[in-house]
Amino acid sequence: MSIVKACNIKYSYDGKRAVLKNISMEFEMGKIYAILGPSGCGKTTLLSLLGGLDSPSDGQVLFQGEDIEKRGLAWHRKSNVAFIFQSYNLIDYMTPMENVALTSKLPPLPVLERLGLTKEEAKRNVLKLSGGQQQRVAIARALASDASIILADEPTGNLDEDTAVEITNILKECAHQMNKCVIIVTHSNDLAKQADVILHLKKGELQQL
Amino acid sequence: MSFIKRAGLYCLRQRFKTVILFLVLTLIAAFMLTGRAFRDAAKGATADVSTAIGGKIMLNIDTEGHMGSGQQTQWGTAYAYNGDLITQEIVDAIGEVEGVVDYNAEETAGYYGAGVNFKYLPAALGLSYTKYGEASAYTITLSSEKCRAFQNGSYKLVKGRHITPDDKYACLISKELADYNKLSVGDKIKLYSFTFDSDFIDEFEIVGIFDGTEGASGNALTVDEIPANCGYVDAAAVQEIFKGIDEEGYQQLTIFAEDPVDIRNVYDRISALPELKGKTLKLSIDTEEYDVVSAPLESLQKLVNTTIIIISAVSVVILTLLLTIWIRGRKKEVGILLSIGKSKVNIILQIFTETFAVAVISFAASIPFSFLVAEKAGVLLVSRAWAGTANLNVQIDAACLLPLSMIGILLISMAVIASSWTVVRSEPKDILTKMS
Repeated sequence: MSIVKACNIKYSYDGKRAVLKNISMEFEMGKIYAILGPSGCGKTTLLSLLGGLDSPSDGQVLFQGEDIEKRGLAWHRKSNVAFIFQSYNLIDYMTPMENVALTSKLPPLPVLERLGLTKEEAKRNVLKLSGGQQQRVAIARALASDASIILADEPTGNLDEDTAVEITNILKECAHQMNKCVIIVTHSNDLAKQADVILHLKKGELQQL
Repeated sequence: MSFIKRAGLYCLRQRFKTVILFLVLTLIAAFMLTGRAFRDAAKGATADVSTAIGGKIMLNIDTEGHMGSGQQTQWGTAYAYNGDLITQEIVDAIGEVEGVVDYNAEETAGYYGAGVNFKYLPAALGLSYTKYGEASAYTITLSSEKCRAFQNGSYKLVKGRHITPDDKYACLISKELADYNKLSVGDKIKLYSFTFDSDFIDEFEIVGIFDGTEGASGNALTVDEIPANCGYVDAAAVQEIFKGIDEEGYQQLTIFAEDPVDIRNVYDRISALPELKGKTLKLSIDTEEYDVVSAPLESLQKLVNTTIIIISAVSVVILTLLLTIWIRGRKKEVGILLSIGKSKVNIILQIFTETFAVAVISFAASIPFSFLVAEKAGVLLVSRAWAGTANLNVQIDAACLLPLSMIGILLISMAVIASSWTVVRSEPKDILTKMS
């Protein structure tokens, strides 16, 4: 059963040149999706539309069959989706625990420990952590929000090979063991190979490989 | 995590910015608090002056057309007023009028006397037209305290007491004249006075000594042009001296109203008195003294009001600029908060709470600072400009704090909204794209 569905989505920045053309796609729980494509093809834009950061020029994004605009994009972002960005996007004056607590009322430490951070690391300023640790904090924040959909934009883009593998495994675990719908935008074929479904965005059209 | 907790974390962790904001807000609060204290002090002083001086109504003899045809004397043609005087009956009737709090007869240069047992400060001409030398002028009064020069602070009683309506043969002399003749309170001076065809020597007791005449002598030609030679004598004595020669009554009466604002009504009531009907007397409203004393205070109020408005406007601009610069540097944070579903209102509330929390501490810190500044500046102002005329009591009180804290909240709200405007206008995706 699909959790989120793109229905004939069109998107253009200036109203003339279409970045996304009639994209329709269903995304299911428990699966990991990888969206590949050349730079500037609209991968991040598609992720933004699915996550309610922006509205399509035409078409709809449905969450559990309901248009996400109906209850508001902010509500959709707060309740249904969690973002993981390439540059981690953690609030720099907070500790990992406080960053995770932004989205969760539950104690953040168990989530962080599950992702491999020690108690001491969880209380440090986030800027004093390595890139891999910061990305783990970002993932912990996404998991703690209890959102059904995790949207990851180049989550391993800034990480070394070993750490990238670790993060990929965590994302797979999110999809397969926690039954989340994980949608990843990536240039990395290695990461894409780990996905259950690989999608290719080219000239505004989405194709399943 | 609530916006309040986020705001708290921001203030604690971004200490440098918090300290800068604290200093700026403390400065603004101190300026505004001091300004407000000045405004209130000026307002209070104006009210005090209003109460102390009140309004004045002048009742004078109408000399126009009532000066007779002239009488030849050894000094030339003399004219004498032949109209009505202000009788005791009129004075008593006026005293009963609603809104009249007091009255005083003050007849400047109403009595002339030459010094029999003392000397006046000499004038340039050195005249000697009586057997006791030159005569100087005295103001005849019922209550010297109510006389213009004492009311406006030009003269100040330094020894003894004022002349009251119960006095007879009492006088006030200047400190300069007292020092010149080694006279003091309780001493008696003899004055020689004269009319067209008679002369008198009368003894007056010095009941008080005043100062304020110093340095006002200039190059006087006659002794009566030297303020230090001119004193005050009681009305009862003068009426007794000239009994049978002059008509009994006063030439001028100053009537004090309770409130200058109500003075027109008091004037109308006095005008309607039957005792004044058909009399050759002129009634007029005199707010000159009140205007003279209250004008600088009202100017101060206007100045302070303008300053407060300017400070408020400048404060909003400075605060807005400061917050705008900082919020621009916090775009990433705003983007993150938007991406996790925090609303724009929630984010603006966080920024407001951060600023407000610092403002509360700043406001508290500015109170003792403003108190010191207000006290020092108040003393300086009183000594420079308002000495002797009004009591400018500059102080910070609780009544000052509440309206100012309201204004502070308003200013902070305006600054936060203005500085957050770019955030309010931006779409979450744009912020996130730019921050990437």
